[in-house]
Amino acid sequence: MQGTSGWVSNLNSIMSSRQQRAGRAIRGPHSALTDFLASQNISANRIREDAEARRNVANDSTAQSADAGASSTAANGDADELAEAETAQVATTADKAAEKKRKTQAAAIDKIKKSKAFKKRKRQDEESDSDGIAEAILAGRAAPLPGQMENCEICEKRFTVTPYSRAGPDGGLLCNKCGKELAQDNKDDQKQKKKKVKARGHARRQVASNRLDGVIGCKSLMTMCIQTLVNNIDLADDLGDMPAQIVDRVARQVAKRRILTPESLNLFLQSGFEDVTVYDAARLGSDDLIRIFQMVPKLTNLKLKNAIQFKDEVMDYLITRKTPLDSLYLHGANLVSEEGWNKFLVAKGKHLKSLRVYFTDKHVGDNFTASLKETCPALKCLKIAHNQEVTDAGIEHIAELKGLEHLSLQLITPTSTEPYVKVVNSIGACLRTLSLTGESLSDLDDRVLDAVHENCTLLRKLRITHSEVMTDAGFVRLFTNWANKPLTFIDFEKCRHIDSSKPRENAHLNGLCSDGFRTLMSHSGKSLKYLNVHACRHITREAFEDAFSLDKEYPELENLEISFCEEVTDFVVGCIFRTCPKLKNLNVFGCMKLKEVRVPKERFLSVCPMRWAWKLKVLRTELVTLVELVRYQVLYVQGCVLFNLGV
Amino acid sequence: MAEISKYVTLISNDGFEFVVLREAVLISPMIKSMIDSKSEDLFPFREARLSGRCNFEEISQPCSSGQVMEKVVEYFHYWYKNCEKEDVPDMDIPAELCLELLVAADFLGLDSKNLSRPRGD
Repeated sequence: MQGTSGWVSNLNSIMSSRQQRAGRAIRGPHSALTDFLASQNISANRIREDAEARRNVANDSTAQSADAGASSTAANGDADELAEAETAQVATTADKAAEKKRKTQAAAIDKIKKSKAFKKRKRQDEESDSDGIAEAILAGRAAPLPGQMENCEICEKRFTVTPYSRAGPDGGLLCNKCGKELAQDNKDDQKQKKKKVKARGHARRQVASNRLDGVIGCKSLMTMCIQTLVNNIDLADDLGDMPAQIVDRVARQVAKRRILTPESLNLFLQSGFEDVTVYDAARLGSDDLIRIFQMVPKLTNLKLKNAIQFKDEVMDYLITRKTPLDSLYLHGANLVSEEGWNKFLVAKGKHLKSLRVYFTDKHVGDNFTASLKETCPALKCLKIAHNQEVTDAGIEHIAELKGLEHLSLQLITPTSTEPYVKVVNSIGACLRTLSLTGESLSDLDDRVLDAVHENCTLLRKLRITHSEVMTDAGFVRLFTNWANKPLTFIDFEKCRHIDSSKPRENAHLNGLCSDGFRTLMSHSGKSLKYLNVHACRHITREAFEDAFSLDKEYPELENLEISFCEEVTDFVVGCIFRTCPKLKNLNVFGCMKLKEVRVPKERFLSVCPMRWAWKLKVLRTELVTLVELVRYQVLYVQGCVLFNLGV
Repeated sequence: MAEISKYVTLISNDGFEFVVLREAVLISPMIKSMIDSKSEDLFPFREARLSGRCNFEEISQPCSSGQVMEKVVEYFHYWYKNCEKEDVPDMDIPAELCLELLVAADFLGLDSKNLSRPRGD
């Protein structure tokens, strides 16, 4: 039956093609493409008609089967030979045509099966069999052409097919309205896909970021809870009876995300608290800062970072309250005037034990340090950082603060040696912490070190940085036969000779050099937890090898910063890891002689020598094994693209 | 002493019982001290050590309700499964349970400094 209908259509198409060939003599306006196709013996018209014929076959197959049945009975009824022969001939032709058609269809289906569209559809619905999909695609290709009428696949309304008509989910065409809706859905899908792709990139960056934060693998339940809490901070009314250290961790996380608002501030203010720490007060106004004193009457320790709106009016309010403030840490409060500070010191200075002031523009100056002696007799800890107003005269006033145990200065105005010597001579005997840092110290010389050697016996933490004039001999004198107990914290960052014309020469042994380093380690090595000799370039390899020779041990050392110490080699790093069992972080930025470092488990190594990065790029397999070795460490390789590829 | 069971039973203060892999539970120093055979024979925990049953009924913490305990147990298994992997998706924590769970995590010592790999010990 199919055969007959196929033959009819085939005949039709042959006839139409003949007509075509005849009609080709008369030429209307042609496009270049039509001409080209004609020259290749391809006729668009014929293709279209073939397709139409095929479609008719498919559509009318049921109707035609009845007709064909009738015709066959008619043929049987007629005993006419000719007719019979004709029928037979027709039948064989029909069979052949049908066979041919089946073949072409099978070939088309095979082709479709190989095509991309098929694979895509196959992926979409795994269950349906592949032949079904291929046939659906074939049917879709044979869909009505522009200008014809068709029933919409979804709403079944009749509509005119245009070149813009969209294909429906089952291969049919859609009317304009349904097409638009489908397109909208697809767009949403695509958006989601895009989002997913974004999320994947984000996740990779997050992993890298976590690695640098030291968070590797599974998070603790506590961390996850705090994250969830911070994500939903608006929903929380009250933190309840949370232990103080958890409240602090939440506060840190909130500040890290910069979402501390006047509303969420209330979570951290409870009337029973004695400590209030706001790590990021940038979004709080003066009224919110005043609210801290209203809501926490027993406030003794106040720490505010980015407290821009901490102005005179807040100070005035604080003065009127009976808040028993012991310790004040103010960061970025540069709107408090000199008079405001003065009033505060007069009113509240009596009990003040700790005063730490960061980033004040103009109003914490020499007068401020001068008044401390009178107003703050109990002061034990003084820190003035990022300050441009305190000068030599101001430093000299600090010498009169006899009770001071912790002194930390980071000034911007260049200062000279004498006032520091005076301070150390005067109050050095009680000092536990002496921290002098900043560019202003470039002219600080050995006299300070000698004064420290003479006077200080209780020091635990010593930081003197950026001096270009101190000499190796000065450091040797400091650490030889020093009455002070071994220190736990030493920072001599950037105490080195600078001469841009002859950078390698250091004839007078300026800065911390080999002998200074040896005596330092032999004096304080036993209890040292943190050591920073960043950029002390003239410490030789021999000095490192002596100090970290395998018969020695530095049992407490946890953080070691030897960046830009040019003589550090792989061997030295190996020795360091062996001699410091507790070492967690080793910083070797810019140590160009390092080639291949093996990092023991649970240790951190920060590296960034460019040459190393290059080597990693060449020997990628080595990187993989290296990362395998140090799976649970942070490996920070700046400038190395491969690091981000998930190795 | 009888052979130690591979599983431990945790009982919440509203009577729910959770049977958890012993190795997974040991991440909590608190529970570890309750059931670890090496720990001292403190009276209230001796029973827990012998029977492998940790009873939180008498600990009047809000954190030991069944709902919270279920999440905690889920975390034990999450951690046991994932602790050796990098790039682990976070566990889903419902916002409404977050505060109680936080207290529970603190109580059970599920802090990052206590996290160590189980096969190591």
